[in-house]
Amino acid sequence: MSSHALDQPKVAPVRRGPGPMARAIDTTLGRGLIQIAAVAIVLACWQAAVDAGWLTEFLVGAPLGIWRMFHAQLASGDLAIDTWTTLVEAILGFVIGTVAGSAIGLGLWYSTFVARVVEPFIVAINSVPKIALAPIVILWFGTGLVSKVALAVSLTALVALIAAYGAARDADPDLQALLASMGATKNRIFRSVIVPSTLPAIIGLFRINIGFALVGAVVGEFISSQRGLGHMIYTASSLYDLDSVWVGLFVLMAVGFVLYHLIDLVERRILPWRQVSTAGQVQV
Amino acid sequence: MTANDTSRTIQLSLRDIRKSFPARSGPVPVLDGLDFDIHERDFVSIIGPSGCGKTTVFNVIAGLLEPDSGSMTFRGEPVAGLRGRVGYMMQKDLLFPWRTVLGNVMLGLEMKGVEPKQALDTAREYLSTFGLSGFENAYPKTLSGGMRQRAALIRTLITDPDILLLDEPFSALDYQTRLYLEGVLLDAVETFNKTVVLVTHDIDEAVALSKRVVVLGNRPTRVKAVHDIVLADRSPIGARSDPAFSDYFHTLCGELDIQTRRKVA
Repeated sequence: MSSHALDQPKVAPVRRGPGPMARAIDTTLGRGLIQIAAVAIVLACWQAAVDAGWLTEFLVGAPLGIWRMFHAQLASGDLAIDTWTTLVEAILGFVIGTVAGSAIGLGLWYSTFVARVVEPFIVAINSVPKIALAPIVILWFGTGLVSKVALAVSLTALVALIAAYGAARDADPDLQALLASMGATKNRIFRSVIVPSTLPAIIGLFRINIGFALVGAVVGEFISSQRGLGHMIYTASSLYDLDSVWVGLFVLMAVGFVLYHLIDLVERRILPWRQVSTAGQVQV
Repeated sequence: MTANDTSRTIQLSLRDIRKSFPARSGPVPVLDGLDFDIHERDFVSIIGPSGCGKTTVFNVIAGLLEPDSGSMTFRGEPVAGLRGRVGYMMQKDLLFPWRTVLGNVMLGLEMKGVEPKQALDTAREYLSTFGLSGFENAYPKTLSGGMRQRAALIRTLITDPDILLLDEPFSALDYQTRLYLEGVLLDAVETFNKTVVLVTHDIDEAVALSKRVVVLGNRPTRVKAVHDIVLADRSPIGARSDPAFSDYFHTLCGELDIQTRRKVA
């Protein structure tokens, strides 16, 4: 057979991945523009519907009103205080709950016996909707910061405990055997295998628990409080001040968004070995 | 031969090792009175039918499992297991994904409490000896299977263990890589004067690499036969082309009851 014949492909090569158009748009800038445009269109439709009288501003608010209210609250300093209050409650609750929960969960790896004894209790306590505890928590811890933190802890700690214990139990037994054959102690195996191999699960847990901690803080504020975004939303809605309610919601959204991305930063620092290949995704 | 005098000194002996595992229907005996010796600078392969408890033998030697009864003697002294004195290598490379190649190779030295500066120097030296220079800071998942297994081999050798326990270390690799790594292993064993115990289901590999082959029977297992393998050329390819190779191969196949030819009625 001549080499010429070999050069001819028998079938047209299958084109993989996006075409040239899609590739030009699929950049950080391109995706950002699409995202901004989507938000702008929704807000414009909303404003137009209110202006045309299809939606009652009294019940749904309107983007321009929300914007004015945002500025007014920013100028008065109220918004900063409320945001700070909620942020402190949520972060304290998140840190205490997640750290304590993960530590206990990892610690259970040391003793299967203890883990088996406490398991039904953990499952039972975890199956209580924690929000139902809110009234008691307020009774016990008062209407200030502590009760909100306690509520956030109750929402995050058991989730952390269960996830951390599960991850520790699933740690590769062969890696543990390898270290044992090198003469490693149980503490050494814990430090060198259990902790690093559970870190991805624990960071994943941070993402979930940031949301739960915010829920705890806001619900606590709903029930009884003097300040905070939850307090602001609750009081504004009882006054039919929908623009203020939206300001509170958008700020909460922004807070959650920023915290979520902070965790991304933490993850990149702690888990460099996980960032190695994101380019290996299959294009179909 | 003069070399035989030292190489025939017994390093580790196993006597009447018994081990059973609990199951729903009662204890299942796996090792049924195992007896064999490993000489100084020996290269022993343990072969046997699948599920016969080869890995259990290993875990007993490594001190990861306690036998129900029996005794082990290491250089004349009774021992419970060789924890901390063996180099263990498995089919899975068992590199820690969160450690770089350098960090993985240094693991054993860290366990031994070697000073970090010195551990680093030793690790770099080994990496360059085994052709992994330039990959010190790479994470295992960016390496090929052969390179990962080479890193695992370095990690096994670097702590200067008394005995290397290799549990089908090359069975997940393609044939070329495997022949290459067998060569690397043989050279390393020669250079560092190591004793090797290799568990394999691959008769071909056992004959090509070993000085002796221990054949285990079906579960509950005991030693069925021990063969000395004498081949002129010990290189992975040379050994496989030795005229005596196929005799050993067929003998061992026969002992494992493998039908290599269809029976003609």
